[in-house]
Amino acid sequence: MTSAEEISKMFDSESQKLSSLFDVANSKIDMSIHEIVETYYQVMNVSSMATMLEQQPESEELIEKTRQIKKLISERFDSDIHPKIVEHLSVSIQELTKILQSRNSGEKSKEQTESDAKSFDELRQTMSTKEFVEQYENMIFDD
Amino acid sequence: MIEKLAKTLVELKKEFVKIYDGKSQIQEVIPKSKSELFPIEESHLKLLHEFATANPIYYNSFEKQIGSVNCIVYEGDINKYWLNSIQHGSSKAPFSPTWIMSGYISSLLAKELGYLQVIDIGSGDGRIAFCAKILDLESYSIEIDDMLVDLQNILTSTLDFHPYCSDATTFDYSSLNLSRPIFFVGGLAQMGGVSLASGVLGKINSITNLKNDAGWVFTGTLSQKYASDPKNEAGWGTLIDDNSLKSIQSITLPTAWTLHESDETPYIFAESRK
Repeated sequence: MTSAEEISKMFDSESQKLSSLFDVANSKIDMSIHEIVETYYQVMNVSSMATMLEQQPESEELIEKTRQIKKLISERFDSDIHPKIVEHLSVSIQELTKILQSRNSGEKSKEQTESDAKSFDELRQTMSTKEFVEQYENMIFDD
Repeated sequence: MIEKLAKTLVELKKEFVKIYDGKSQIQEVIPKSKSELFPIEESHLKLLHEFATANPIYYNSFEKQIGSVNCIVYEGDINKYWLNSIQHGSSKAPFSPTWIMSGYISSLLAKELGYLQVIDIGSGDGRIAFCAKILDLESYSIEIDDMLVDLQNILTSTLDFHPYCSDATTFDYSSLNLSRPIFFVGGLAQMGGVSLASGVLGKINSITNLKNDAGWVFTGTLSQKYASDPKNEAGWGTLIDDNSLKSIQSITLPTAWTLHESDETPYIFAESRK
């Protein structure tokens, strides 16, 4: 197998993986944090590969593939999935904050305090995930 | 003696981590009584325990033998204060306390270095100011978060460490009539500490004669999680240099945020190059 064929095969495989992740994202509103992070990393991975391949064109076919995948990311992810994820994370943060605020008044038992601590950890994790996806948004605007 | 005490506390913390199996968000230990390893005045230890017992962030305590030291373990939760600080955007760095024993040992060093007043900047529950007061230093506690200042006001019934609810970068320090103060700056350099310290340094340098007589304690980190400073000093090198300060000593002590870390928290003591 030539080097160009190997690169093309790898790019196909990573693009396929990305497409599958988009299908998962479209099929449910409540993505786990792991799924969200995995999807963003794959978007960035495939975008970087496409940019690199465009700069060192091995074949016209490969260039066409990079155009296609960039279009897919722009139309399916940037314009649809990403805004939905941001919205979902914002709502989750608001809801969790509200729940935790309501539990913060009055005395709590040791067990209740330690149980609530798990919800606080969930809130912190959701907030840092939102910061992470917002960094992606900033990256798009910078481009 | 102070450095040895700091090292002994770090060893105690390492032993504690090995045996602690609780689920609390934060936890810390205080020796129950004076011993060869912890030659601390009984009256001081009593006050440290009173601070922890009266402090609403702790919801449980129990006696535990850690190595050869009989201790009281305090279990606590600071989540509601974190929730308050993120809602109001009142704090640049969320409240996460040093250990009470660490506050005591660093105050001991401040006293040994000849300082007369301790000003705890971004003081959280005011523990450093409280510890300084135990050592007969005049102390002041500046905290921007009103919920934390309410908490401090509960704790002043034991010792008045003068809590102020204020932005430390705009506070009028001349009103305190300071002569030989040392400022403990809460918050890591990488977590808003530089901005906080720069603001306070600007205020102090504008007060006649105070610039040369003031000391500074910066809370450092050796963690790889944070960007290092090109001039080192656990993240504070550039600020120290830019403000014509020099590092005079550092001690490493346990804090809530380094409980599960191998590196403890370095406290960098600095003064004017004059």
